[in-house]
Amino acid sequence: MDIFTLSFWGISIVLVGASFVKSKEKTFEAMKKSKKMMGSMLGEIVGIIFIIGIVLTFIPPESIKSVLGSENTVMATFVAAIAGSVTLIPAFVAFPLIGSFIDVGASIIPAVAFLTTLTMVGVVTFPLEKKEFGFKFAILRNVFSFIAALLIAAVMGVIL
Amino acid sequence: MRALQIVKKNKLPVIVGIIYILLYILVPNKADTSMRSSIYYLIEMFEVLPVIFLLTIALEVLVPKEWIMKHFGEKSGFLGNILSFILGSISAGPIYAAFPISKMLLSKGASVPNIVIILSSWAVIKVPMLANEAKFLGISFMGIRWILTVMAIMLMAWVTGKILSRKELLSGISTTAKPNFYVNQDYCIGCGMCTTMLPDVYEIINNKALVRLSVAHPENKMMILKTVEKCPTKAIIMATEVS
Repeated sequence: MDIFTLSFWGISIVLVGASFVKSKEKTFEAMKKSKKMMGSMLGEIVGIIFIIGIVLTFIPPESIKSVLGSENTVMATFVAAIAGSVTLIPAFVAFPLIGSFIDVGASIIPAVAFLTTLTMVGVVTFPLEKKEFGFKFAILRNVFSFIAALLIAAVMGVIL
Repeated sequence: MRALQIVKKNKLPVIVGIIYILLYILVPNKADTSMRSSIYYLIEMFEVLPVIFLLTIALEVLVPKEWIMKHFGEKSGFLGNILSFILGSISAGPIYAAFPISKMLLSKGASVPNIVIILSSWAVIKVPMLANEAKFLGISFMGIRWILTVMAIMLMAWVTGKILSRKELLSGISTTAKPNFYVNQDYCIGCGMCTTMLPDVYEIINNKALVRLSVAHPENKMMILKTVEKCPTKAIIMATEVS
């Protein structure tokens, strides 16, 4: 556990302690409510996690190199953005991987597109987002994020 | 019968489970690798989800609805956006950890653009992640990508807010919630009878009552039925069929 997550544990435990001091009944009531909300999500989250395992096995992070290395930058950017949307590579694996690739001279535009959709667009988490916030919200947020990733990549290609 | 219901409620994990069984039969070594990389994410989940659970409780008890409305609501303006950015950025865990918190804020009065900002910045902008990016890709790369991402999120939030109203977002969610009841917007006169009786279940937005999300407890059913009776224009509709 990194120090960041650890401090979160500390803060939230203190806050719940404060809730208890403020009102025991309210805290228990809120606990019931949260339990219900989290309970309905837990099954899906566990399902998603095991899908990530399958995706990582059949599409290993290294395979992204062949996508980013394409001669046609526009095509490569588009494919990289899609690859970032469907895969869920941990960021600390993705950064060194992309870094090593840019070091050997690859274009940064597809790389940026990939890094941005990797975290912002979630095809795998889409069913859960849809369930929690409705179809329209989920589709808007994901589609906009996808477009945003392409734009960010294009602008970065011009600047750097 | 019961088993069937459990399967129906947990479609995704059941399907994934079946896939794993098939993988173990057909390509056992691949299934094994999948299982092992999943465990990393499972650990991440168990590190973060209990915190989210605790935070939603503290949020519910300690932070009054008025405060959320003032700082994250429709009229919170630019400052509300900044606050949403900070909240999303100092967060821990993957994007699904943001769902319960965002949903709670939404039910307490946060605006649609601010929810988009919280979810997106939760996903992309994180201090440990930025440090990692700067280390492997350079500070200027990280800095420029960060600035562009913040701008893009702002734009996305603004556009989503224009397309999707809070009212529509809430009603979209509440119609699928159980028990299945809703307020007919054409009949509601916004008298506030239902919100006075059950402030946890109803709220008034734009002079019309709406069913708030995530609070439709079955144990409230008797009280809800009473509000259905008491509503002067009979605008609260209780559907008999639960979808």
